[in-house]
This record gives sequence, structure tokens and C-alpha cells, in this order.
Amino acid sequence: MQRFKPLSRLLIDPPPAERVVAFRRNGEVDAADLLSDVAMLSARLRATASGRFLLITDDSYAAAVGLLALSGSGGIAVLPPNRQSETLRDLAADAVGVLRDGSVEANGGALGGLPAIDLLGGTASDPVAFGELDRDAPLIEFRTSGTTGDGRPVVKALRHLEDEVVALEARFGAALPRDAKIFATASHQHIYGLLFRVLWPLASGRPFQAETLLHQQELLPRIAAADCAGLVTTPVHLKRLAASGGLRLLHGICAAVYSSGGPLDVETAESVGDQLGVAPYEIFGSTETGGVAARRRDIDGEIWRPLPQVAIRRRDPDGRLEVESPFVSAGDDLGGGRMRARMSDRIDSLPGSGFLLLGRVDRTVKIAEKRLSLPEMERLLCEHDYVAEAALLVLEVAGRRRVHAVVVPTEAGRACCEAESRRGFGVRLAEHLGRYFDPVMLPRAWRFVDALPRDSQDKLPVKSLAGLFADRTGSGRPRLPRVISEQRSVDALERQLEIPDDLAQLEGHFDAFPVVAGVVQLAWALDAAADWLGQRPVLAGLEALKFPMPLRPGRSLTLRVERSGRGPNLRFRLHDGEFVYAVGRAVLVEPEPEPEPECNPGRA
Amino acid sequence: METLEQQIKELIIDVLMLEDVTPADIESRAALFVDGLGLDSIDALELAMALEERYGVKIGDDPEQNQEIFASVHNLAAFVTENRV
Repeated sequence: MQRFKPLSRLLIDPPPAERVVAFRRNGEVDAADLLSDVAMLSARLRATASGRFLLITDDSYAAAVGLLALSGSGGIAVLPPNRQSETLRDLAADAVGVLRDGSVEANGGALGGLPAIDLLGGTASDPVAFGELDRDAPLIEFRTSGTTGDGRPVVKALRHLEDEVVALEARFGAALPRDAKIFATASHQHIYGLLFRVLWPLASGRPFQAETLLHQQELLPRIAAADCAGLVTTPVHLKRLAASGGLRLLHGICAAVYSSGGPLDVETAESVGDQLGVAPYEIFGSTETGGVAARRRDIDGEIWRPLPQVAIRRRDPDGRLEVESPFVSAGDDLGGGRMRARMSDRIDSLPGSGFLLLGRVDRTVKIAEKRLSLPEMERLLCEHDYVAEAALLVLEVAGRRRVHAVVVPTEAGRACCEAESRRGFGVRLAEHLGRYFDPVMLPRAWRFVDALPRDSQDKLPVKSLAGLFADRTGSGRPRLPRVISEQRSVDALERQLEIPDDLAQLEGHFDAFPVVAGVVQLAWALDAAADWLGQRPVLAGLEALKFPMPLRPGRSLTLRVERSGRGPNLRFRLHDGEFVYAVGRAVLVEPEPEPEPECNPGRA
Repeated sequence: METLEQQIKELIIDVLMLEDVTPADIESRAALFVDGLGLDSIDALELAMALEERYGVKIGDDPEQNQEIFASVHNLAAFVTENRV
């Protein structure tokens, strides 16, 4: 008997009753349990209205039961991308019920009193006669963050998943023994996790872990206790696992590691390879297209190789990736079960169907593997009464990619900011966004300005936005003062600054009496000028340079840079209303104009 | 205990690079996550690593227990006091 079962035939041609399907911290679930759980849930589903059900569980086995039962009874599973109340409220609006279990806290309010069915809570029912599952009926609805605004539904039929599972077995099956236990840190609420940790193991007869173990102190020993294992993970988790050195424990046990959801850095990929003796498979795809390509750095280097059944091509003029496969569920229908979709990723295609990824064309970014549309968040931010204009960008701070916000407050916003505090104001805006977005996506730092730093063509260069956070993005102690606010015009730039107490340049400048050296103040003035002008001024000389008062850390200051008479020369002044700390004129070499990249934080 | 709580507040601000927050702004018994200081799951991982490194404590994988430990600075300090090496 063949071990691999197409998902549509799993219930009518099940594995042997005692075959372990899934396992938990305590206990295992075999094929007989699976059939009986699906039968019980099917019986309850047939007694209720058919339609869309929110599927909310942290237990991957329960999710599998829910999907199989829904497929058998003509229902659709809606997988919420997060558990925020606004998201659930939106999704609940056109659902007929909720399938859940004890692994998830009740969030009844947001679900608007939808009837809830416990995924695994049924009582023994009369035997249900299973039929072959319908491959073509809509079965799952994912929500993604769209590139142009609202999150949109992506609907998949069983055939999209079933065909991809066949392709996964064809591509990766040979390197993963039949009895490998599948562990995962990636959630089944997204397509990658659902396919790799639930559906592929289910079809291929490999037992999978129902719980998600995120802490390596528990995860690593549990994998080590298996004879043979596979690990389905994401770059954030894999980076931590690799950094701990603990993967060495799994050498010779963990036969394959999969990573998807965002780019995996080379160091992590190599470190995993060193520790396990086998480099991780990186998977590239999207909710709309399903899996597209994979690579192993030790074999493929930077080159992505399409999965079986997938054809790719580079679309000029912008070099976007076009994908054609039976797993694509949103795009042009080519007949024969195949669809074609254009992705927002730019590629270089190579001979022999491989390709290189060059970056995204839009402003959709990933934070901790979750896709975020910056324009959508900007739009929602601007809906707040306190916000006139907003621009978001992603910066890496202390090794983590985080959203940062530059906001032009309205009159009311300014009044609130003064009445409360800058932090209080930022917290209010974050709370507003928190109704729509996962907490990890919320802006980590805020800058409130009189106007967004647009250039002469009215574009918003990333460099200018990033310049407002320059104090946060270096490594180690801050080298730059923090920008509290700024006003810019064609003639002048004025910034309110705060000098951190732990400024790096204080090193060696008098422990007993720390002062900021004049040359450091001068460098700050030139940095500000570079942000303002869009390019670094080239100094021909300095005139009338004075540092009338020693500048101590911890102070709040105003830095003004303005054009000085004719030509490109600049005048600058650092003062606090009472004292002047630095003043002078910079004589500049006439600059060469340089084109600015447009605002595209997706590549930041 | 007082000083340990103070140290942990400073650690939180430093490690997570929180802006406009001083140790005095963090109440020892106030919630750290979502409703209180607004920390999130990435912060939790980061903070756990920093605590393990700084105090040699091992933070386990029981979600309920961790929710308890990470609930407030007071609870973190109590956990560190009991488990530090």
C-alpha cells in the first residue's frame, strides 16, 4: 500500500488505524482518532448552516480536523491573519460560525455572538460515510495585507493545497525519511505553516507536532528525543536557534530544516549548516501563489529553483516575477487548473529556470514574517483626528526590523502632545493602530514634524525620513543627538535636538566634566545639512567658527542650518535660547546634482 | 529587591531602546505587555535573552508561567531573585 495519500482521498483510503498522525507534549493521535474526530465534527457541521467558519486554534491537529470536516460538509475555513479584535470583528461579519478549541482564549466580544463549535469537543456520533473530498470547491480563505490598501481575501480550493503537497513531496521528500517527526515554530494560520507542518505531513504519513514550541529550551530536547525529525521554522526563530548553538544537539537527527516567511540571512543559513550538517531549505512564495521556489545555500548559493509544476518568467519593463502553477489561486486562469500571477518581487532570471530575487517593487514589508502594507497603515494613521500627514519606514534597530513613524500633527494633535507628553501622544496613536494591526507591527519610535521632509520634486526620500532616526540606527552607544522635531524650508532647516547622556563621542572627553567636542558639533551640523540638501556637502573651508560655551550632554538644543548669501555656502548655529554653543559658516564646493531614490522603505 | 527592580527597568529601556521612558515611568506592578508599556512578542524574546544573559536565569516554555513572570517588573524581579545563579 502506498504511504502517500492525496488529501482528497485521505478519509476514504485512510492510513492504518494505529499509524501515529500527530503528537503532543503528552500523547499521540493515530489515524483512527483522526477519522473519529473528523466524523464527530462533520456530524455537528451538518446540523448547522453551511458557509464560512472562522478557524481559530493553536493546535495544528485540531486545525487539520477542522479543514477535513469543513471540506466534507461544503464549508469554508477562514484563517484570521492575527487575533486583533478589529480583524476578528471584520471577518466575523460574513461568517456563520467559529471553529475553535481550548488552545485559544475566548474573545467573544469581537466575534459578535457567532455560534462556536469546539473542534475536538464532540461526542461519539453515528458512523459517517465519508466520500472523496471535493477538490474544486473553495475550502480556505486567507487574508493578506494588500499592496494597495485593504487586506483582501485569497481563496484556495483543496486542489491548490493537494497539488502543492504532491510537489513538496517530490521536491523535498527524498531528503526527509518517512518516519521523520515534524516539529514547527511556524504557525498554521498562514499558508506556509499550514502546508509544511500540517498538510504535507498528513498526506505523506509523517507524524506532526500539534503544539507550537517557541522556546528552544523545550523545543531542542524534544526534537533530540526523536529518532529522526524535520523542522518547519521562520527566519526570526531560526536566527535565535542558530545563535544559541543548540542545533548541534540535533546533528544526525534533524534531517531537514525549512525556513520561509522572509529573507534568511547568510550567516544564519551557514551556522545552521555547520551545526546540523545540513543547510536549511529556504522557501519562497506568497499566499496568492503558494510555493514558488526553494534553495539551499550550500547547493544553490543565491539562486532560487522553482518547485515542481512551477514556471517562472521575468516580466519587463520592471523585471517583476511572473509565476504559473497549479498552486496559484489568484490571477489569470490558463485552463487545466493552472493560473498565472504577477508578484511584487523583482528578479533576474538565469539560464536553466533559476532566478535571483532583487527586492520588492511596492511598499509591502515584512515584520517578524508578517506582511505589512505601509500605505495601508499610513492611511489608517491619517484617519486619526490628531494626524495631518504620516510617513512610515522600516529601520533595523538593535538587529530587529521595526516600523518607525514620522507624523505631522494637526492643531488638535499638537495641543494633545503639549498637554500630555511626546510619549503619551505616541502611545495614543499606537493604540489607534493596535485596533487593526498585530502589536509587533506598531511603530516603535515617533518623530513629530511640521512638514514631511519632501525634496524639490515633492518626493519623500527614504534617506531624509531615516535621518530623523539616525540616533537609533547605529550600533552601540548613540553617536548622534536625537531629533525631537524639525522645520524645513528652501532657505533653512531647524531641528530641536536632545543630546543623550551616553553619547559615544563623550568617551575620553573628561569623565569628571563631560563635554561634546566642537568637531562633533560641527559634524552634526553637516549631517543635518546633508539630510536637508539630499546630499553630503563637500567642505571647501570653514569661516567664523566659534564654540562660545562648552556643551554638556543631556541638554535640549536648536540646530539651525541656513543658506548664507549667494552660492552654496551655509551658516549654522547651535543654541538653546540662552547660550550659543557653536556658530560658523561652511564654504562649500559647488555640488553635483544626484538623483534621489524615491520613498521605498520596502527595500530599506 | 528595590534595586533589582530598578536594574530591570533600566535593562528593559536599554535593551528594547524605548524612547521617552525613564525607569520612573515604569511602575513595578503595572502590566508590561500590550495594555501597559505596550511591549510585544519580539520584545518578550529579546527581554528573555537579556535576562538569561545578565542574571543566568533560565526562562522555560510554559506559556502560562511565562505570562506570570513577564506580567510586571515586580514579577520579573521576584523570578530573578529566586532563580539567579
